[in-house]
This record gives sequence, structure tokens and C-alpha cells, in this order.
Amino acid sequence: MELSDMMTAAIIARSLTKTYGDLTALDSFDLEVEQGSIFGLLGPNGAGKTTLIRILTTLMRQSRGEAFIEGLDTRSAGRDIRCMIGVVSQENSLDRYLTARENLELHARLHGMDKRLYKRRIDDLLELMGLSGRQKDFPDTFSGGMQRRLVVARALVHQPRILFLDEPTTGLDPQSRRAVWDYVRSLAGSMTIFLTTHYLEEAEQLCDKIAIMDHGRLIAIGSTQELKDRLTGASVYKIEFAPQEVDRYAELLGSMSCVLNIKQMENIVTVTLECWECLAEIVTALNGAPVRRISLQERTLEDVFISLTGEKVRE
Amino acid sequence: MMLRGSRAIWQRDMQVLRRSIFSELVAVIAYPLTIYLAFGIGMQSYIGLVDGAPYSLFIAPGLITMTAVNAAYNESVWSLWFHRRVQFTIESYRVTPVSVSEIVIAKIMSGFTHGIIKGCAVGLVIFAITPFRFPLEHLLHYLLFLIPGSALFSCAGIISGTVMDKPETIGKVEAVLVMPLIFMSGLFFPLSSYPPSIITWVRALPTTALFEGARRALVAGDLLLLPVLQVLVSALLTFIAAVVIFRYKMAE
Repeated sequence: MELSDMMTAAIIARSLTKTYGDLTALDSFDLEVEQGSIFGLLGPNGAGKTTLIRILTTLMRQSRGEAFIEGLDTRSAGRDIRCMIGVVSQENSLDRYLTARENLELHARLHGMDKRLYKRRIDDLLELMGLSGRQKDFPDTFSGGMQRRLVVARALVHQPRILFLDEPTTGLDPQSRRAVWDYVRSLAGSMTIFLTTHYLEEAEQLCDKIAIMDHGRLIAIGSTQELKDRLTGASVYKIEFAPQEVDRYAELLGSMSCVLNIKQMENIVTVTLECWECLAEIVTALNGAPVRRISLQERTLEDVFISLTGEKVRE
Repeated sequence: MMLRGSRAIWQRDMQVLRRSIFSELVAVIAYPLTIYLAFGIGMQSYIGLVDGAPYSLFIAPGLITMTAVNAAYNESVWSLWFHRRVQFTIESYRVTPVSVSEIVIAKIMSGFTHGIIKGCAVGLVIFAITPFRFPLEHLLHYLLFLIPGSALFSCAGIISGTVMDKPETIGKVEAVLVMPLIFMSGLFFPLSSYPPSIITWVRALPTTALFEGARRALVAGDLLLLPVLQVLVSALLTFIAAVVIFRYKMAE
């Protein structure tokens, strides 16, 4: 591995493979995450996201390949790596027998922090997360959003250089989700953030770079725009007609060879064209038709995700 | 090995124990005290002397020991299972610089502390409300059994809490293995009651060494080195097994 890679990359995975008997959870996975960036990892259930995050956070050993966190090998420098990472796991792992503040204090002690140092740090974090007034309460009495904020605060107590967020907003209401997003955004630049999520909007809103994985393999990586740009070829247009004429023109469009797919909903017909050049042919065919509006349907990250991982529901 | 993590986790467990100490002690004292009153007082006149001592005196040391080792076992097994399977706090410890061995040592220490505190509490209550008395120097001999005995059961609890994923299995193991081992160890009757053909096997059990040795230490002041060593070696082996099994399970 190049020394320059090690210097600029916060996370590096090379041919990372994890097998459980006959099952390959992670298959020659390669990844590089820049320092200070917010990196999103997307994938359907069972794609291997959690396995990857467990290897990167030293909770699990890979079967083959190598992974480096800030240049440190996950196989040989587990303790040093765990000193510099913060982890927000999928499960709510708060200690319900300790108050909010005691949860943070325990975490600080596990990191060997000095009491004077962590006392102030915890005050600041509770303030930042809006939990100062509830610091003496037990997490069981908190709402889902507050518990999640407390978990994030706990992961930040020791000022990590890399923060792993494994589906940090699952189960939260939209307000709480946006509050977590705001905190994550406020951290941007000060540390590297590695995020896995099922919410494509979340990845789109937060991440500088997104990777999509499936069946343990990396299948696409890039910025949101770069991923959308990959969906070249087919273009989707929405055509709005006057109500009385829509059926006739929908039939006409459906018979055209350049139209790959057609959907009609009330007086709006959605057509998928082979390529954008087909639009001229469509316009010609619709000459004189009572068209109210033609609009290009923007590709979403979800379109990219579905096109890469398929529509089949995973168990 | 640095034990900073062990200390932090043990402190956490003691913080939680302090909060609920009263209800914990009431629950823990009620069971052996009921047995003491029912058997020691109620049955005393029917049983008479056992090994030259009144029955209430005969069973008292065993009840204190049973409380201690039961508390050590229960704290370890349920705490580990709960933190591993329900609360996922073990996972949150594992993403800090704390090693897996430090976590298991902390949990063993917590179980052991629970055992000692609760055993002492029952001992004090029995001492306060019954005529059971012993010279103070016997206590030191008794502690030579109680301390490794509690450690042994704490380690056994760690093994159960590590390998068992379902709470009902934990309950079954306690009913089928732990309690019979305790009751077979001469808690309520002298070992001489066993047929000669099986007494050698019963004596080979570390629980027999613990209960029999502890009773003789407390009542007669005898310090039997072989049973002490038997309990110590068993505790050490169980400790090693607990650490290895926990590490293996965490690596899965």
C-alpha cells in the first residue's frame, strides 16, 4: 500500500473477505474513505454492511484481506483503533440502570479519561444534544430521538477521529431524524464519519460520497450526482394531457417502438424512453395533442439503488 | 494486562447495586431465612443432633455459603446474559479500548462481590436472630472457603451467561445442575448419610469441598487444606474456562 494513501485515507479496505461457513458475507471488498469526509454505505438487508462495520470497528476479524483505520491494521492494533473511533450501533445499547450522565461517564472511564477532563466534555455534549435538563434521568424515560442523541453523545465523549454510525436514525420520527442529521452535519470536517443507512434521503442529504454494496461486494461508489449520472440511457418523462384525450394518446405512445414503458395515472402519462433523443419523435407524434405539460422526471438515489440492487425484497 | 476497564465496569455494577441494595438484600435474605426457620427451628426437635451439633447449627454455615455462591452465580449469569442479549452494553464496552478479558474479569468480580455482600448479610441476620455463634477466628478460616467459592460460582455464572442465549435455559441449568450440586454437598445432612459406594464421588465435587469445608471451618474452626485447595483449583480452572469461552464467543 502507498504511504500517501495511508496519510490521506481514514479508512482503507483491501480485498476484505468474511465467510461464515459456506456463506460469504463480504467478498473481496475494496474501499477508501477520505479523512474528514462523510461517507455513506448503502445496501439492502443482508448486503454485508454490518459485517463490514464490525470488521472496521475491530469487533470481528476478517477471513481474508486487510483493513486500516488511520493507517492502523485492524488485526493487530485493535486497542489503538478503538481509542480513536466512536461507534453508534444499530441497537440502542444505552445502560438503562444508569442515568444519561452516568452513561457518558462510564464511557469516558472506559476510555481512561481523566475525571476533570470528561466532566467538562460531558457538560458540553449534553448541552449540544439538548439533554442537559434530563442528565439525571434514566434513558428508559427518554423518547426514541433523545435516546439516539444520547448514544451519539456517548460516541463523541472521547473526541474520536472517526465516527461510525450504523443506521443512526432507524425508527425515529422525521423531526428527530432531522435533529440527528443536524448534529452529524455540525461534525462535518472535524472528524471522518462513516454512515450506513436504509434512508436514501439521509445519505443524499449528508454524505460527500456514497458506496452501494450488495451480496458482500461493492457495486458502485461516487457522489450522489455521479451515481445518478450512471443511470444514462433510459429517460423518464411525464406528459400531462387534457382529461378527455388522455386515453387516445396513451395508446398512441404505447404503440411507439422507442417507448420502453408507459404508465397512466389520471391525465398524466409517464413514459420511459430508450434515450433522450427519442423525445423528438414523441413530440412529433403528439403534434396537435392537448398537452399541458412535459417534464423530465429527475432520477433519485432510490432509482440508482433499485437499478443496482434490484426490486426483489430481501429477507 | 491493564485492568482499568475491569475497574470501570465493576464500579458501574456496584453503583447499580448501591441503588437497589435494600430490595436486593430483602429478596436474598428471605429465602435462606425461611429455610433456616422451617428446617433449623421447625425440624430441630425431630432431628436432634447431627455430627454432634444441633440441627439449626449444622445447617447455618451451609445457608450462608449457599446464599453467597447463589448470589455470585445469579449476578454473573443474569448480568452477563442481560448485558449481552438485551441491553447490548457488552457491545458498547467492546468498541472502547477495553479488552474482552477485562470485561469478563469485571463481571466475575461483580458476581463475587454480590456473593460476599449477600452472604455476609445473611450471616449477620442469622447471627442476630438465632443462637448460632462461633469464635471470631473461625471466620478467617471460613472466608478461605467462601472467597474462592464465590469466585468459582461467579465464573460458572459467566460461562452459563456466555453460552446460553435463552433465559429459560439459564433457569433450567440452575434447577438441574447448580441447585442439585449445592444440595448434594451436605447442606442439610451429613455426608456420612451417603452409601459408602458413592461417597468418594460426592467428595470429589468442588461444591462438597466448599460446603463441608466451610461448615467445619466455621463451626469447629478446622482448616482442611485439601478442600481449600480443591475449591481454589476449581475456581482457577473455571476462571480460565470462563475467560476462554467468553473470548471465543465474542470472536464469533
